[in-house]
Amino acid sequence: MIPTSLPYRRVSVLLAIMAMSALAMFIQLIRVQFGPYAPVFSTWIEAAEDTEAEIEPVRGLIYDRDGDLLATNVPMYYLEVEVFQLTQASRKQIAAVLARTLVLPYEDLYHQLTADWGSLGQYRIRLTREVNGGERWPITIDQVAADVLKGFLLDPEAPDLSGLKPVPAPKREYPASALAGHVLGFVNQEGKGYFGIEGFYDNWLGGKAITVERGFIPPEARIQPDTPAGVNLVLTLDLDIQQMIDDILRKAMEDSGSEAGQIIVMDPRNGEILGMAILPSLDPNNYEPWLAELGVEAEDLETEEDELVINPAVGGQFEPGSTFKILTMAAAIDAGVIEPDDLFIDRGVIEVGGVKIRNWNGGAWGPQTMVGCLQHSLNVCLAYVASEKLGAAPFYEYLTAFGMGRVTGIDLSGEVSGQMRTPRHPEWTQADLGTNSFGQGISVTPVQLIAAIGAVANEGVMVQPHIVRAVVGPEGAYWPKPTTLGRPISAESARTITEMLAESVEGEARYAQVNGYEIAGKTGTAQIPTESGYDERWTIASFIGWGPVSDPRFVVLVRLDKPESSPWGSVVAAPVFSEVAERLVAMLEIPPDSVREQITAGN
Amino acid sequence: MKKRQKQAFKITPWRSHLRVTSRTVLTAIVLLIFGGLYLAVNARVAGSGRSVLIMQMERAELQRQISELTATLAELTTPERMLERALELGFRPAELGDIEYVVVAEYVPEDPFVAPKPPNSTTEREGGLSPAYTETLGDWISRLVSQGSERRQ
Repeated sequence: MIPTSLPYRRVSVLLAIMAMSALAMFIQLIRVQFGPYAPVFSTWIEAAEDTEAEIEPVRGLIYDRDGDLLATNVPMYYLEVEVFQLTQASRKQIAAVLARTLVLPYEDLYHQLTADWGSLGQYRIRLTREVNGGERWPITIDQVAADVLKGFLLDPEAPDLSGLKPVPAPKREYPASALAGHVLGFVNQEGKGYFGIEGFYDNWLGGKAITVERGFIPPEARIQPDTPAGVNLVLTLDLDIQQMIDDILRKAMEDSGSEAGQIIVMDPRNGEILGMAILPSLDPNNYEPWLAELGVEAEDLETEEDELVINPAVGGQFEPGSTFKILTMAAAIDAGVIEPDDLFIDRGVIEVGGVKIRNWNGGAWGPQTMVGCLQHSLNVCLAYVASEKLGAAPFYEYLTAFGMGRVTGIDLSGEVSGQMRTPRHPEWTQADLGTNSFGQGISVTPVQLIAAIGAVANEGVMVQPHIVRAVVGPEGAYWPKPTTLGRPISAESARTITEMLAESVEGEARYAQVNGYEIAGKTGTAQIPTESGYDERWTIASFIGWGPVSDPRFVVLVRLDKPESSPWGSVVAAPVFSEVAERLVAMLEIPPDSVREQITAGN
Repeated sequence: MKKRQKQAFKITPWRSHLRVTSRTVLTAIVLLIFGGLYLAVNARVAGSGRSVLIMQMERAELQRQISELTATLAELTTPERMLERALELGFRPAELGDIEYVVVAEYVPEDPFVAPKPPNSTTEREGGLSPAYTETLGDWISRLVSQGSERRQ
């Protein structure tokens, strides 16, 4: 009996195994078709009907001129939940873990985890938190928190977080925080860049999205083409200089009680902006509160972008005051209508177009050379030079050549052109000629002013200020060449006015001097126009200077708004310039004049 | 000839049965071979596809880690932090009087910094594979069992 039944048993066992396998396959098929994941498959099938997907490239990085990273992308994670993976224990433990680690209300999280999402046709949800005003924003966590959660998910001893999935997404990060924040601008949650470099080069940095065919099941996971990332940018900024001017400006504002301030450092030879400090600062990592102060909602940025003055260096107009006298005097020297040693008898008042113009102190300074006029910053003298020696037409032609009334074209978004009325303007009067000559009744942006003065420092050649030094794409690096905006005055005139200003610094602006280096520059104390005339209390104190005079390597503009300690540029702004210039010569490795002379003589 | 064949099949009908059976079996074997080959190829394609997905995810994860580390490094080396650390170590910013300039013959200044080329963006399936695809029958049964035991508790 045994020998005959053995094959039968074997066959029975084999058949049983085959039947069980078939049954298992059958159950799995039924489960997939009709089980709890059936709606998930339906959703995927619907999604698969749209077989193309747009893939956004990684946003390009921003570096300073020495390779320090200014803007990068870091991962952040959304917390998503696969609803059918949740168990009763995991619902409680996910809510408990997140409530504790992220300091969020447990009830709110638990409510989201226990809601009947399936009836709404949602099988994968993104956890949210309530923000001000009852709005709900997705919960986001950083890499460290995500690593902890991933560890919990893999550890059987850890709290049961079944169903929870940290889903990565890129986030823009600015390692230096608020340093150069106004220059960089920021990127919103949708990945669009606003203001500064991020706004100006948004299309380049953001790259071009590509459309790919989607594969939903492993056999379709063909190797899709990788999206080329946006270009990387190398800026002209030097982060060390940026930090230095930021620190000095912060201290100067504290000492003078100023409301706001700016320091811009530019290389006059090529227009490279080496530093641009603007206070109050903007932290691009946390721009929402800053926008709220301006009364703008983050969602309304698109519509209100053009209205906002985000970077006052390019978008904030002001009446420059006496720093503008450099341009008036440069124009007159270049036109050949005056010489540095020409005498002017200052009687304390001059009438131009029916308007009486007086000096800053209301006094009469008697006989003065043109150097004396600049040294003592005499409004009367400059009004005389513009109205009686130069004349309206040449004066405005020179100002136009210096770029007044039009944008410089700097590669920062939000630049405005300033305002200048010329004799062609119907509202222009002869009185404008008198006031414009000493920087009143005309508005400029700080970048416009530094570009124009840069021409005087650079032997009469005006170079376009710019922020981007190199653009690096997949094909290689591109180094834009400096753009010459024109030659408003001759090299000889530029040297003459530079010598006059170097001499004048030794007088009125002695606080701006730097030991061992000859510096040229001019103070400015501008009144602030209001709807009912000029503000009687507040001023804008400024200083613009460059050096070393024999081979200018930097132009520095210092501007302090509404200083409390003293209204005068010579008192509050000139010492700030001196401090900046003293640090600059060390950082840019510029030897003192005596050493440079020795080197030149040696050569 | 045909007549003889017919007669032969009439005398021994099992011959025709054998012929039909052998043809059927042969067809079944051919079909099985083709089916098996098809299954094997598909299984390999699915396996490779899965490997590609896993590698894509691993590459994306590595790129995220690199980004995070790069940002951390950049934060740690900002001028503010470096200055703080230098001051802690007893250094101070150089003043004009401290600096001595030396003429170095044939000094070649440092080349300007060139940023690295931007890397390609990694294509990654959003949120990874759904458990609808990855949950095996065993996973499902164990999940049912654990849910059942939870309910009893």
